[in-house]
Amino acid sequence: MSKEQVAGHKEQVAGRKSQNGKPKVAFFDFASCEGCQLTVVDSLQTHLDLLDAVEIVNFREAATLDGWDFDIAFVEGSITRPKDEERLKRIREQAKILVALGACADTGCVNALKNLQPPEEVRRYVYGEHADWYETYAARPLSAVVKVDAVVPGCPIDREEFVEVVKALLVGKKPPVPDYPVCVECKLKGNVCIFHMGGICMGPVTRAGCGAICPTYGDGCEGCRGIISHPNENAMEEVLDEAGLTVDDIMHYFTMFNAYREVGTGKW
Amino acid sequence: MRLRVLPKEQVPDMVRALMADYRVWGPKAKGPQFAFEPLYDPAEMRLDYNISILSPKVALQPPQERIAVFHLDGGFSVEPVLEVEPTVIFGMHTCDLHALELLDRAFSADFPDAHYLERRKQTLIISIECLQPCDEHSFCKSMGTWTADEGYDLHLTDIGDAYTVHVGTEAGEALLAKYAQARPAADADVRRLNEVMSAKWPRFQHRLNFDAAELPSLLATAYDHPIWAELGDRCLSCGSCTNVCPTCYCFNVIDSPDLSLKEAVRLRRWDSCQLDEFARVASGENFREARAARQRHRMFRKGKWLYERFGKLGCVGCGRCIRACLTHINIVDTFNAIHASQHRR
Repeated sequence: MSKEQVAGHKEQVAGRKSQNGKPKVAFFDFASCEGCQLTVVDSLQTHLDLLDAVEIVNFREAATLDGWDFDIAFVEGSITRPKDEERLKRIREQAKILVALGACADTGCVNALKNLQPPEEVRRYVYGEHADWYETYAARPLSAVVKVDAVVPGCPIDREEFVEVVKALLVGKKPPVPDYPVCVECKLKGNVCIFHMGGICMGPVTRAGCGAICPTYGDGCEGCRGIISHPNENAMEEVLDEAGLTVDDIMHYFTMFNAYREVGTGKW
Repeated sequence: MRLRVLPKEQVPDMVRALMADYRVWGPKAKGPQFAFEPLYDPAEMRLDYNISILSPKVALQPPQERIAVFHLDGGFSVEPVLEVEPTVIFGMHTCDLHALELLDRAFSADFPDAHYLERRKQTLIISIECLQPCDEHSFCKSMGTWTADEGYDLHLTDIGDAYTVHVGTEAGEALLAKYAQARPAADADVRRLNEVMSAKWPRFQHRLNFDAAELPSLLATAYDHPIWAELGDRCLSCGSCTNVCPTCYCFNVIDSPDLSLKEAVRLRRWDSCQLDEFARVASGENFREARAARQRHRMFRKGKWLYERFGKLGCVGCGRCIRACLTHINIVDTFNAIHASQHRR
């Protein structure tokens, strides 16, 4: 690719540039622990050149900037209140590219566990006698409300993958988020299979891209990066059954990080 | 070349001496299993290993490697990257040795692969005879890979307190002379070697119910066999079977720019025909979308197509794919089932 072509791609992706020619980037959050934005800040430890590649105009967690003139919006968090939708739609209208940052935004993550429970019980449990003061509805990923152009999966996101997604956006390519299971990266690392050590692992149906970090350190994958597009769920259920899990246990493994995928807005 | 004898107590010194001049890969314990990894201490090497998780091909075709660097600042230029160093693979089993022969043919055909071949050129192989099967999944006897008389530079056989050393190449001869003090085999050593080998053969079982030479013709009439749908139902498409396979060599190529977009690196990484996206092409079409078709593809590669292309079956009977499969897809059972159904009266 020539320098001109690269420049052309950049132009195409981020037409509304600051005077220095860098795409303007903003970070926003909804229901989340903000750990993914923290990982973005953390990624500057090893990729300080991120700051040369883009101009950050809004990043509440890390800076006093609050600009609303941006090209790329990274949005962390799930949508859990009707009034969140309005703000998200406003971000969507402004952004040329909207990226779901992390599992809460991408899949609903653990926030969607509440969708498995009766609404009144959840409201009372969380807000007690003042439940009526708070407007809340079933947790959902950003894509349930607006069009999402790209995702950075994971709880939290993987620092290196975040940088790869940024690079892809800079050159105008589809971000290289894998659609194959964690087993691939686990095998490439030469790890002992978690199942061969008597453990439980969601790796065979979970989206790779994390470098199989949990199995590499001896823990089974819990599915935080979401389920691949075409999982063989029946076969996976048999694997978990053979490993000694009950039907309820198996459901728990499939819903801990992926409840929205399993039940949508559920009982709400 | 004459048979030599290497006393076992000399092996650590030999490895240490080799480590000074070569990157030495050997089998090491990894949790309850074993892995081929670079050795940093001769004591780490476990020549008593049964089988490694990944085959020692990792030393020749790494799971990921840089193959080129692009400069995009002020014009365009590209330079190849060859990250190669003098290497010794110590303790390779003969199934993997046979697999290496197939990789050599594959990477030399049509468009010789500079990265693999340069690494191969700079790598010496010290193999070791297996005196018992790894476990119930190995079927090296059926595939004729349970021993080898070529493909190595040096080949060790455990005769008790020493290894006999078969010298396969001049490079092996030179290596042995420089890094070890092996003595010529005496009559007693030869007798001991023959005893050890005679005791070996009956320990291994045939697991294919027919001669492996029949595989290509057997599969030729099995393209529409119902077994592929069965395997497709069970397959997780996790790619573990191909990633652990010593003869699989498919890779993907990925270009990754740096953040300044002034430089980019071209990486290649192992790929797997079992993955959903492997056969997806630019239009979005996926010409091997069904898991059944992907499993059939793998079995045909192992039992027919690689043989037709390179004159060697693509399966060496190591059993790694069987051990790795969480849903118990078993290449031996598959081939046996096809054979049984085609010979049923």
